[in-house]
Parts: sequence; structure tokens; C-alpha cells
Amino acid sequence: MKSMQQNKIAVTGLGIFSAAGRNVASFKESLFAGRSAIGPIDLFDVGSFASGIGAQLHSYDPLDYFAPREARKLSRVDQFGIIAAGEALRDSAAASYYSPYDIGISLGAGASGMLQSEEWLRVSLTGKRGDPSLLRGLLPDRTATSIAATYNLCGYQVSITTACSSSASSIGWGADLVATGRVKAALCGGSDCLSILTFAGFNSLKVVDPAPCSPFSLGRQGISLGEGAAFLMLEDEAEAKRRGARICGYVLGYAAAGEAYHMTAPDPSGADAARAMSDALRYAGVTADQVGWVNAHGTGTPLNDAVESKAMKLVFGDRAPLVPLVSTKGMTGHCLGAAGSVEALATLVALNEGIIPQTLNFRGADPECDLDYCHAGSRPSASKIALSNSFAFGGNITSLVISA
Amino acid sequence: MKRANVNPAYHDTVITGLAAISSAGVGIDPLREALERGECLLKPVPEGILAESGQLWGKADAFRAADFMPPLKARKFDRCSLFAVVAAGMALKDAGIVPGSFDPTRIGVVLGCGFGGISNAEEFLRGYFTSGAEGMVPMLFPNIVPNASASNASIEHKLKGPNVTTIQRFCSAESAFLMALRFLEEDRADIILTGGVDEVTPLMLRGFSALGQLRSYGSGFGEGAGILVLERGDHARKRKAKVLAGVGGVRTIGRLASGAVREGINRLLPGPCEADLIVLSGTAPGERDLLDRLPAVPRLEPGQILGRSLAMGGLAMTSLVLSLAPGAQGLYLAASPEGPWYAIDWYGGDPDQL
Repeated sequence: MKSMQQNKIAVTGLGIFSAAGRNVASFKESLFAGRSAIGPIDLFDVGSFASGIGAQLHSYDPLDYFAPREARKLSRVDQFGIIAAGEALRDSAAASYYSPYDIGISLGAGASGMLQSEEWLRVSLTGKRGDPSLLRGLLPDRTATSIAATYNLCGYQVSITTACSSSASSIGWGADLVATGRVKAALCGGSDCLSILTFAGFNSLKVVDPAPCSPFSLGRQGISLGEGAAFLMLEDEAEAKRRGARICGYVLGYAAAGEAYHMTAPDPSGADAARAMSDALRYAGVTADQVGWVNAHGTGTPLNDAVESKAMKLVFGDRAPLVPLVSTKGMTGHCLGAAGSVEALATLVALNEGIIPQTLNFRGADPECDLDYCHAGSRPSASKIALSNSFAFGGNITSLVISA
Repeated sequence: MKRANVNPAYHDTVITGLAAISSAGVGIDPLREALERGECLLKPVPEGILAESGQLWGKADAFRAADFMPPLKARKFDRCSLFAVVAAGMALKDAGIVPGSFDPTRIGVVLGCGFGGISNAEEFLRGYFTSGAEGMVPMLFPNIVPNASASNASIEHKLKGPNVTTIQRFCSAESAFLMALRFLEEDRADIILTGGVDEVTPLMLRGFSALGQLRSYGSGFGEGAGILVLERGDHARKRKAKVLAGVGGVRTIGRLASGAVREGINRLLPGPCEADLIVLSGTAPGERDLLDRLPAVPRLEPGQILGRSLAMGGLAMTSLVLSLAPGAQGLYLAASPEGPWYAIDWYGGDPDQL
């Protein structure tokens, strides 16, 4: 098996817009303080569901960021994406160095413009004519197209839709695009927002916790949904250094695998999750001993957390109890299509700060989750390498290897 | 054989199997016959779906899930997943890949999908909006995700290699194809089922109508699946697989920069085009800047015959492989209104035998 890249793929820009922080600086503050963004949702009526909470971007006014005419054309997800992508672009300053044809977009998408489209459907079902502009952002590729148009990025563009692993895959694929020279810089990440469809859907499956999600805890009942967008700008390290870019980390490798087991349930053995993690390490040219901690998929569902813990033991063997498996979803909520990129960004800023983030909302020790989850609080770490896992409906697993 | 504009890194990736479900019928033979006849297979949209008349669509009317699986099993899939599950099985069979005879972790599924999941989402929401939480049907929810097609195909055929779904306007399948090529090049898999799957529904047409798109890009939509078995050449020859075509270089841009259109087109077509056959997909048939650069050789527009879709590239690339004579060179061009654009070089037959 080959190592993924001959040249190292550097991260030269970061951007985030989420309930846990509306830019990288405020997100860092939340992460390091262990502050959860999960609370009551008022974006739509949640009165008929067992859970009424999530990590919503409250008091968001598009007109703070967009002209009225522009805001009307963009879905909430497109707007989040443009805001976070803009921060990453400014942070990297890559746009002023490369031809527009040399900067690509690899975007992970989720529910996309469903929030607006479902309003069109709701109105249409009453026999009235829904506002057609609400349908503009329905398809998941709209966000990438909108970002490309906003910032005049004319290189390769793609949207990856592997549900909750979409934006982790988009980062891995973006690293590939740079490694092959197909683009000089790749803006990678994801954007997603709360919608009735996802909120009702996960509630119908009875996997939403009525209280803030408590990954790896005894008595956990499921996820807390979230929303937001996060982006990383990737470049070849040598080229980034040549143009004097600030390098804030590296994507060392990734693996994407299919479990081929079930649409919603993970393989209980954890074997395929472990395979993806091990493959990612091999592609990165990193041994398991070099990994300091793992940013878990860690949704807080009873099954996911137990399976992920099993997978850790398969990958790290006797060392598994010494490798913290932490979930940042207690802070950000589960941002679905954007989850992988939000967590990759959290991993990178934590590595740079020399801390392992806390897994929030501990309720008690679960015998099925018998590893170190940093429930007691964040802690210092000298480690420079971490894994970031994303699992998804359909058994789509992606694992990223990230270093400071 | 002419080898202009080819990235040598891609010389050894070949096609060893094909599958098609389309308005032409189920299987490769109906598609081949439809391409030979060249007649449009689009039919009038039934009355009552749209307020306006005269619209056409390309439904895969001949497809019956019950021909391939028990009805109870079929009920758990959405229509796109049914297309993908059945077409994937046909493609594996065409490539001589017997289930259980290969390491499942070395066979991946990377598909483009346009409107997959939308039907289930609409049905799920309809239940909620009309009957509240009591009206929600949980069974519908897992298949609202666009990756349901590729995931269900992998689950049904027990394929554990890389599994990814892409969408990008009318080039959703081409995006998947490029990714599949790279996965083979990186040795992430030996074989990847790639291409595209899509459906067309009455609700979609009503959406196109509401957006005023039935007289532009939403006109003449089709559905179905086109799946190509993409395989490393050395792997294919070692197992003595039939090689249908070889893949040359792939060039892509996201969109045309205003004031730098020529540069964008030059990136797609950097040198003289020496193809014997050109296949146009997506909105490429209407892109004058592109068409002006092409030589006067036979052109094929599968969308005119089968109907267009966001992931029509699967059927269009399948059409190219079926139409390209051994030893001939093909050029495949795909475009979307706001990008991306693709140019892919192909060789008919087994490049190693020429």
C-alpha cells in the first residue's frame, strides 16, 4: 500500500461559522473552555418531538454578512459556507497568489437547502403556491457553486455527499487533489444547517437525546443536532513555504471505506472502522504509536460509541487505554454534513494549542466504553498527531490523520 | 493509435464491465441498439403532472424491481437505490467478477447521484406536514441521503472498498469517475464501480416548472443508471478480463473565469484534438466556446436520446465505450451551466493490444 503523498499537504487557512463560535478565534475559546453550544431550538417548531434542543446559530441575521438581494438568493447553508470559506481564504491569502483556475473546492454537503425547500413543500401542500426561490438551494452542490462564484474560484469543484462523513471525505479528497497537482490550493470543508427533515428524521429513529448529548457516558440516548460550516485551505507544503504562507498544520493522510453492513447501524465488531483508521495511518506513513489522541465520531448513540471504542482497541491494542478518544459533539452538536470539517478544525487547533479537548456532559461510566474519553476536562498534550473519525449512514467511514 | 493530450499516469486504467438502466431499457443491449438507431426515446410527460403541456421525459419504464428481487425487499429501497443495486450486479457480472472470489475491501463504489434521496425526503416530510409526528414513517428516513444508492449497492453486493457519492451539477458522474481513477492510482482498490444514478419524478418537474427551468436546463430529464467497472490494467489482465476501453487523461475546471474564458478552454483542450468520436454530455452540446474547438468528427449526444440528468455522465460514458471502435480515440466532454467542465480521453478496446 502506497503512502498517500510524496509531498506534505499543508493547511494554510482555517474558517468556521458555528454555534460554538462564529470565527476561529471564538471557536477556540469555546473549545478550550469546554463550553457547550447546545440549547433550545427556535428555528422551527420542535414541540412535537421528544427532544427540542440542538446547537443552533441563534440570532443569525444574513444581512450582517450579505446584501439583501444576495441573501435572498442563498440558502442558510450556502450563507454559512460562504462566511466560513471566506475566513479560510482570507487566512491563507492564497487567492492573491494563484490563478483562479488553480484553486479548487472540495465540499462536504448534507441537508443543504432543505430548510427552505421544506417550507415550499409545506405551503404547496396547503394548495397555495410556494415561493419558488425557496427551491434554489435544494441540491447539495449549490453551496460549492455559490462559494466558487462569490470568490471567483475556477478550479476543480465537487460536492461529496456521504452523509455524516461528507466533509471529512472532502478534506481527504482535497489533499489528493493538491498531491496530484490537479489544483495548487484546495478549499475543503462542509456546511450544513438544522432542518425539519433531519430533526424529525432522527427523532423518528429515536436516536436524539432529550438532554445535551453525552458521548461515551452511561445512559446516553443519542445525538444532539447542530449546524455550521468549517473550511481548511490545503496547499503543497513546498509551494506554501515558497509564497510565505503561514502553515498551521498538515493533512497527512486519510482513508474512506464502506462497511457494507447496514444503512443505519454500524458493524458491531468495529472491524471496518478499525480498518479505515489503520488504512489512514498507513497512507499517512504514521504508526499507531505516534498518534496522541483521536477525535471520535462520538455521536452519543449507544451503539456508535461502543463500536468506536471497540475499533480503538483493534487499532491501538494494549495502548488503547492510553490514547484518549474524545468527542467534540457535546460542544458543537452533530453538524451532519459539516461535522467532519468542524471536527478536523477542532483537532488542528487543539494540536496547535497542545491540549486534548474535553468530552462534555459526562453522566457516568459505561462498562462498554472503558477507554479514556477526557470526561473530566481538557488536558495538556505534547502530541502533534491525531486521528479524526467520521462515520455515516450507509457505512461510509472516513478517517483523517492530522498533525500540527 | 493517436495519443495526444494524454496523461501517462492514466494509461493503465481500463473498463472491464458495463451496465445500463435507461429509457432505452434494462441492460447494455437496449442501450447499444438505441444508440445505433439514434432516435429520441423521450416521451410526453403524462397529463396532470404539469400545468403546461409539451414536456418530455425519459423514464426507465421497462425497469421492474420485481424482476431482480422479492417485492418485500424492493420496498426498503428508494428508486435510485434500486437502479444502483441492480445495475451494480449487472456490471459485476459483465466484468466476470463473481461474488466471494475477490477481497471485498478491494472493490469500491464511487457514484455520482443527482436527485437521489429527494423522493424519500418529500414522502417523509409530507407525512409530517399532513399528520404531525404521528405521520412520520421512520423507514423512509435512512434513504433520504444521496449516498443511499452507492451504499445500498455496496451492502447488497458486499463491496467494502472506498464508498463515495458525488454531486456537481450535470457533471456529478464525471466527478465520481475522476475520484475512482485516483483511488485506483493510489492503490486504494483494484476495482471500482463508478458512473451515475438518477431519477426523475413528478415533484421534480413541478419544482423545475416553479423555477422556470422547464424551458432551459430542466427540459427533457431522464433517469436510470450507467455503471462502468473501472479497473487497474495490470489487475484486469492478470485475471484475463475482457478490456472494453482504456482511459486517457482527465482535465477539469470548476467554472469559466470572466475575462479568462480562453484560458479555461485551453486547460480543457490544451492541444489539437485528434479524436475519432466525440461524446457530449450535460450542457456541453450548447457550449459554443467549446464546440468551436472541436474537429469535424462524429459526435454523439446521449442526452438527446435518453434524456438528461445530473448524473447522466454514467450513461453517457457507457455510451461512449459502446460506440468506440477498438483502436479508435474518443473525447468525452461534459459541462454544467455554472461549472464544472470535464474533458476525458478514451481508447477503444484494450490499449495494451494495439
